[in-house]
Amino acid sequence: MAPKRHNARDITPSAAATTQAGPTTAGTVPATAAVTKPYRVSVTTKDSWAQVVGNVWSHYLKTTPQRTKLIDVFMAFLIVVGALQFLYCVLAGNYPFNAFLSGFSATVGQFVLTASLRMQTTEANKSDFPSVSPERAFADYVVCSLILHFFCVNFIN
Amino acid sequence: MKSFLSFSLLLLATLVSAISSTGDRLLAVLDDVAEKATYSKFLGDLESRGFKITYETPKSESLSLFRLGERKYDHVIFFPTKAKGLGPNLTPNLLVQFLNQKGNILLTLSSEVPAATSLVSLLTELDITLPSDRTGLVVDHFNHDVLSAADAHDVLLLPVPRPARPDVADLFASGAPADTPIAFPRGAGVLLGAGPLLTPIVRAPATAYLYNPKEQAEVLAADELFGAGAQLALVAGMQARNSARLAVVGSAEMLSDKWFDAKVTKVGEKKEVPTYNREVAKRVAGWAFQETGVLKVNWVEHRLNEAGPGANVSNPAMYRIKNDVTYKISLSQWDWDKWTGFTVPANDDLQLEFSMLSPFHRLHLAVDAAHSSPEATAYTASFKLPDQHGIFNFKVNYKRPFLTNIEEKNTVSVRHMAHDEWPRSYVISGAWPWIAGIGATITAWLAFVAVWMFSKPADARVVLKKTQ
Amino acid sequence: MHFSKSLLSAALLLAAGVAEAASSWSFDDATVAVVSKKAGDGLKEKLNAKKPLSKPVTIGSSDTIKITLTAKDNGSGKRPHQAFVVLKDVDSGLEAPFPLTTKDTGKAVGQISQKEIPVQLLLATKPLQASIVIGSFGSAHGLNTHLFDLTVQLDPNAPAPSTEKTLRYAKQPEIHHIFKADPKNPPKIISLVFALAVVATVPALFLGWFSLGANLDHLTTALGKAPLSHTAFLGSIVAMEFVFFLYYSTWNLFQVLPVVGLVGAVTVLSGTKALGEVQARRLAGQR
Repeated sequence: MAPKRHNARDITPSAAATTQAGPTTAGTVPATAAVTKPYRVSVTTKDSWAQVVGNVWSHYLKTTPQRTKLIDVFMAFLIVVGALQFLYCVLAGNYPFNAFLSGFSATVGQFVLTASLRMQTTEANKSDFPSVSPERAFADYVVCSLILHFFCVNFIN
Repeated sequence: MKSFLSFSLLLLATLVSAISSTGDRLLAVLDDVAEKATYSKFLGDLESRGFKITYETPKSESLSLFRLGERKYDHVIFFPTKAKGLGPNLTPNLLVQFLNQKGNILLTLSSEVPAATSLVSLLTELDITLPSDRTGLVVDHFNHDVLSAADAHDVLLLPVPRPARPDVADLFASGAPADTPIAFPRGAGVLLGAGPLLTPIVRAPATAYLYNPKEQAEVLAADELFGAGAQLALVAGMQARNSARLAVVGSAEMLSDKWFDAKVTKVGEKKEVPTYNREVAKRVAGWAFQETGVLKVNWVEHRLNEAGPGANVSNPAMYRIKNDVTYKISLSQWDWDKWTGFTVPANDDLQLEFSMLSPFHRLHLAVDAAHSSPEATAYTASFKLPDQHGIFNFKVNYKRPFLTNIEEKNTVSVRHMAHDEWPRSYVISGAWPWIAGIGATITAWLAFVAVWMFSKPADARVVLKKTQ
Repeated sequence: MHFSKSLLSAALLLAAGVAEAASSWSFDDATVAVVSKKAGDGLKEKLNAKKPLSKPVTIGSSDTIKITLTAKDNGSGKRPHQAFVVLKDVDSGLEAPFPLTTKDTGKAVGQISQKEIPVQLLLATKPLQASIVIGSFGSAHGLNTHLFDLTVQLDPNAPAPSTEKTLRYAKQPEIHHIFKADPKNPPKIISLVFALAVVATVPALFLGWFSLGANLDHLTTALGKAPLSHTAFLGSIVAMEFVFFLYYSTWNLFQVLPVVGLVGAVTVLSGTKALGEVQARRLAGQR
């Protein structure tokens, strides 16, 4: 299947990233790491980082279904809204604290719920949730979101 | 209204029953009942004020302070007696018990007769010290009566007793004519302990001192001086915590008819002036027997001082933190034969405490003329309850020398803010970004629901991949 | 009054030796000496009934002051009944009498050590006023006159003496509760900027979706296939949020709950139908 093939390709750069962190924690000199694993030397330079990120990005753009991208945009929006509220709290103080908690947790909670919806509806994860149809997941999502909204509206006073 | 009614009923009842605020049964203990002729004016004044006097000698078998556990008398006056003890009916224990049951005692001393041991023990119990040989003579070579004691100097002429502190009620000197001295003939003095219950009424002048005329007539040894100057109290008062009173008069003779009418002359003067003894005897006895300086609380009211549903409730059991409240208390003072409004002495202050363990507020109570009458003065204070919830007391703890103790406590609970009493979040400008956060999240979520359900796949390439 | 008179008569007696009708007490050969344990005899001054010493006498922590005088009645030595040295705190008016030991000749001696002086007087801020009181029975006028001032020098090494404050029934200092300060709002402009920034993210989200080709094209198909359930489902979700808004603005919980139950039931019932239609579209490959 196509997604699996993509996944296999995907592993190479991320594995490089993790092994790159490995030698430094082990305390060995990077030069010896370069000697033992010569084919990964290029990864340690700055340019290659940009290259890795670029790879991941283009891979994401290529392989992610448009419907999932819409979910991702919504999640990105929630991150921005949450970050703004948190930044405001840091800058201007947390009074009234309950308002901060409910505003911030509405956003964070919505993010978490949306993330679960994304997990349950992505084609790639279909085998993990054999009995949950996307519509069923969406129904759960709507109910949970409504409950979350009620709690937040209640708590902000 | 109701309180007023009961108050007037009470007033009526007191008027009928007695002239003292606590009772009219007075026991006079003398060596010999015939001795009462010596004090006929003093005792006559008491009788004319409504006291029913019973005369007894310490030896009398019928003498008893209690009957079936209740006081038989409301007040006792002791004149000097020659016997060393006072017998089994007047032991110090019984006398203390008498005070504990709110009986009042007026006790007189003399330099000629040592005080009875029973009385000495009672005074020791109260931290009032007599000389070790139970008596002494107070002399003053500078302030004596030239007419009657030109050589012996043992008739002291004392100024009218002004209060020792500016904030103490002036019960003994108010209205006294200037330049009428009190004659204090052949009296003893006492030393008072440091407790707050003891108050000197008349102090000895700075140059007066006490000596024992039997042993120290010639030489007063330097280390045998009992007391001198203002430390000697010639007339003293003790008011117990239950407001029972005991007065010690150093010279019984000063209450006698002779000195009520005597004319005296001060050292260095020629003028003969009448004494103030009759009036001061009346006032000291009146104080001791609860005829003056008796306070009572007529009513207490506290209420919410805010608009709203609770505003009209009197004495509610519960308030909220930061409520504005008003406290009112009405006080009366017994003035010889009637209740009058109590006016706090100048320089003194009636204070309200709002306390939980320790006071959170201690505030001045101001006169509330609108709720005062000739018989009662109302005092009021308004304040904001502290921002601390818990069980609190409105407490007026007014204890002052010469005035009966007032300890009025009203317990209320103070709750914290209910969930719907806080300012709404939109009122607080600091909450706007977070309100906007919820609004944005919900709006975006509604849009997302619509998009998720009705979005038509537009990207052909993705569709292609999907179908691959 | 009598004091000045006696002074006057004493002066007259000394000056002219003329006896008045009423005699009076005086003294002679009066000295005050400071006896120090360490340094031996210190200062010694002659005392005068007419004028107090100009300089104060200082008493150290281990010192003793010794006063000697000869009391005289009408110029001849005689023992008075009362011969006190009185120390007085001018501020508080407190006095402490110290009787002198007298002899038949009128000679009187007194010693005052620092530890004999009451603590209240030791703590006086101004020098103590020491005066002599001589008086006795009979017609002779007593004498009460200021002799000298006494400064108390406390032992710097020992802890200062303290008096336990005696309890007196009197008014007490007022207490006013100090309230916790009200929480402060940040400047409104900052709150506004952030609120607007948060609101602005919503159109940004729509823009992002639009750029990815999101649309509502299937709305018409959906409404065509299951008009009632789709309107009811979407409508009930929006209604639910509107109920939440009413709860926020005016309603209380007991008004909200029944309505929430009603709207929730509609959501559930219509949701099954509406999502069934969505599923049909998915299975048809239109999603």
